[in-house]
Amino acid sequence: MTTAVAAPPLLEDTDLGPKAGGFYRRQNIWSGLGFGIFLGFVAWLVSHATVQGSNWGSDMVVTCTMVGWVIGFNIGIGTFNAPIRWMLGDDQTHEDELYAAGVGQGRSRYFKYCTDHKVVGTQYLVFTMALFGIGGTLAMMIRTQLITPHSTFLDPQTYNAIVTVHGMIMIIATIIMVSGPFANFVMPIMIGAKDMAFPRLNAMSFWVIFSAAPCLLATFFLGGVNAGWTTYAPLSVQAPPAMDAFAMCIITFVVSVTVAGINTIVTVVTMRAKGMTMGRLPIFTWGAVVGGALGLYAMPAFLAVMTMMITDRATGTSFFVPQVGGSQWLYENIFWIMGHPEVYVILIPPVAAVLEIASTFSRKPVFGYKVAVAGFVAIAALSIMVWAHHMFTTGWAPNLAAPFMLTTELISIPTGIIFLCTIGTMWKGSIWTRLPMYFVYLFLWNFIIGGVTGIYLSDVPADQYFHGDMFVTAHFHYTLLGGAMIGATAAVCYWFPKMTGKMLNERIGKVAFWTIALGIQVTYFGQFWEGFQGMARRVAQYNPKFEAANQMSTIGAYILMTGWLIFLYMMLHAWRHGKIAPANPWHSKTLEWKVPTPVPLENFLVDPVVTSDPYTYGEGVPDGQEVPEFAPVKQPELVPAGAVPTEEPGDPGGAG
Amino acid sequence: MSFEDQVDEIEANTILGGQPFFSRAGGKIFIIWLVLTTIGVLIGIYAPHHLLTTFLSPEGGDVWATMVFFTVLAAPVAGFTYAVAIYSLLAWRHKGGDPDVPPPDGQPQRGNGPVTILWLGISTFLVVVLLFWGITVWSAQQITHPNTLQVKVTGQQWVWTYSYPGTGVETRTLDLPINRPVQFNITSEDVTHGFWPAALGVQVDANPGVITVIRSTPNKLGGFTVQCSQLCGLYHAFMNNKGAVVTPKQFASWLQGHGATPEAANQVADVDTSTDSTTAMSK
Repeated sequence: MTTAVAAPPLLEDTDLGPKAGGFYRRQNIWSGLGFGIFLGFVAWLVSHATVQGSNWGSDMVVTCTMVGWVIGFNIGIGTFNAPIRWMLGDDQTHEDELYAAGVGQGRSRYFKYCTDHKVVGTQYLVFTMALFGIGGTLAMMIRTQLITPHSTFLDPQTYNAIVTVHGMIMIIATIIMVSGPFANFVMPIMIGAKDMAFPRLNAMSFWVIFSAAPCLLATFFLGGVNAGWTTYAPLSVQAPPAMDAFAMCIITFVVSVTVAGINTIVTVVTMRAKGMTMGRLPIFTWGAVVGGALGLYAMPAFLAVMTMMITDRATGTSFFVPQVGGSQWLYENIFWIMGHPEVYVILIPPVAAVLEIASTFSRKPVFGYKVAVAGFVAIAALSIMVWAHHMFTTGWAPNLAAPFMLTTELISIPTGIIFLCTIGTMWKGSIWTRLPMYFVYLFLWNFIIGGVTGIYLSDVPADQYFHGDMFVTAHFHYTLLGGAMIGATAAVCYWFPKMTGKMLNERIGKVAFWTIALGIQVTYFGQFWEGFQGMARRVAQYNPKFEAANQMSTIGAYILMTGWLIFLYMMLHAWRHGKIAPANPWHSKTLEWKVPTPVPLENFLVDPVVTSDPYTYGEGVPDGQEVPEFAPVKQPELVPAGAVPTEEPGDPGGAG
Repeated sequence: MSFEDQVDEIEANTILGGQPFFSRAGGKIFIIWLVLTTIGVLIGIYAPHHLLTTFLSPEGGDVWATMVFFTVLAAPVAGFTYAVAIYSLLAWRHKGGDPDVPPPDGQPQRGNGPVTILWLGISTFLVVVLLFWGITVWSAQQITHPNTLQVKVTGQQWVWTYSYPGTGVETRTLDLPINRPVQFNITSEDVTHGFWPAALGVQVDANPGVITVIRSTPNKLGGFTVQCSQLCGLYHAFMNNKGAVVTPKQFASWLQGHGATPEAANQVADVDTSTDSTTAMSK
């Protein structure tokens, strides 16, 4: 690595003076929590004094309290600082911007309204893991309840509340698990950008979703939502006030996802480096963009339906109450117009990450890059036309069964293309079986099972049996956990060295891998078995004839939990004590591996110029030379914090 | 050499090349594929047979046949993907050496038009077959038969109530005569429920304010359970009750036992007792 020109001073070393940042200096997560609780309390006091005692008083009070909490938290953390200063004609100075980006704040910037996309990505990663921790704990409670037919571990009320929150928290976590950490941390570097297009909106998207989570957990203390994560009306209209908190969580969450989706798309469209044409984008970037765009289509419907839900409950609008002129089918339609594209919002980014990883570890270009991109776009386009397959057995519009069967089955064509691209990338590659590649294989294994079982459910006569049955549960856990989440796990293993500067311990990782792989198969084959036998979903107790299958599933769930705990231990241990990672441990060719670790603020000291796509494996173009690679980014001799440069054997990438 | 030429050369050396078929990559993958597909087909045949609930109606038989048929169709595709993945681990995995040093680059193969088109063609063909199967079975189930037994089903938190128009019978158990088309007219008193007599292989939601319809023709004697398949609140898990498929005569007497007059029971059960009881006996 030659540094012919003296590196310019790092932005991180800028002395900002004692006043930079203005109000940001006083704000962090604690001021956010404090002001959020304060404003929530004020909203509770005011609404309690004014509307309590009316017909829908408690719904109004809960809604107002949650609105107060969300707005208060965001005022306290600093979401509104910059817009307000702009409106007052006192716009932020360059020093203020640098302070907001975390300059000079060390680790405390992770607990602040920080506009650096790498900080936001790391925040998302930790937050997603926390959500998975909560959702997984709830899942273990569900499985523990179901180990015997007439268990009294949980009463039915608690059980239903847990089923609801488990579902919703996992949906939220899986939506953000790739588009949060990696589309924020990695994607801008991949395309040669200095940051996201809207750094402040980026920070906002994180802190808004952060403030949504307590609303969801509050449902446990407000009577519990007994309607499942789909919260079908009219049951949800009659549910305890917890439902208002649930709906406020969704509304807040949708704001975050929308802001993040716009940010991702605008970043890729406008912030690409010189020479980074759309055809040269790393495939993961395409996945993030298509997923984000699909989210922009889908998520507003969720916001709309939950707003109508709140007005139904708090003001008696009766959109969804059939007894007074509403329609439960209206609810189900709007919900699934969101709900089906949403599963592809979850799925497309991790699948794209899998292709990226498969290419790196097969030392081959992505097979059929353009076909894969077309596949993503086709999946997204088709997915907005398939929603009513969730309603085959609701009795709504039986004449539409065949058209929706058609669109649903058509979607297996682009999905099949993605499989072809994955195995095509492996075809005659030099498979480098590092930890991320393990999870790529597991992804492939699970996702095919999830896909094939989906075909049965797309068939109306078979769906008439399987709808609302544990078979459906097993199917979507195979796709969302076994497919999407394992793909995201591969992405975690892949980008962990860049995000944290530490290498994962692959010996522990392989133990975790095999435990997780075994756990998934046992758990969900148990649930397929339950489904074959005809056990309904979401039941707290069941007929003893399902006992063997349930016990298999519960045992599998405990294996799976053990696997995730080992994986978590591996991550946390590596984060603190792991081996220092070189800048490019996988010898990958995408731009994020060409910058030093830890990545400096604004990523590139010299703007990269791109002359080819990052998949030049085996094409006789020497890595690190001028043609036709990315222009070499001048790398200062940076090593991760805490490392003594001379002790390291050096960056293997430098040897090439 | 142009890119297409490179691809051609790679293929000439791998799939179509000069070695005996089974020692080439394509041949070995073919063997793995054959084994996996056979396993898949066997699973497709035996798993539904042994694991599915006992169906008492042809609609349930449709579910069973669909499971078998779709699995047999999907097994070759899934088997091929697995075969390539497994073979890539067996043959193309980079072994030995420093695990921190990446293996040499693989073939710079950026795609393969004919293979992609073939793959697209196969998957499109399979989708058409699936769709044809689904629509055929579905439309056959939509045919209405004369002399259909009408049953009104009402869901409420957390019980099912069945009434048989013309008899005044209202029960919490669902008895049906064998080999008689039955139409369930389903509604709900409060929230959405899911009427799911699993052994009949059909279900539909019970919605407040509307009547939804499903049809079935039980063709085996036996008992079954009606479950609620749509989360409906506190005791959703307990919203199930018994049903049975019985002979018409048993059905008629069951109706009488629940308060129907003998005439109404026999008429609704379609049991001919007017003159020659011998005919009914011989059945």
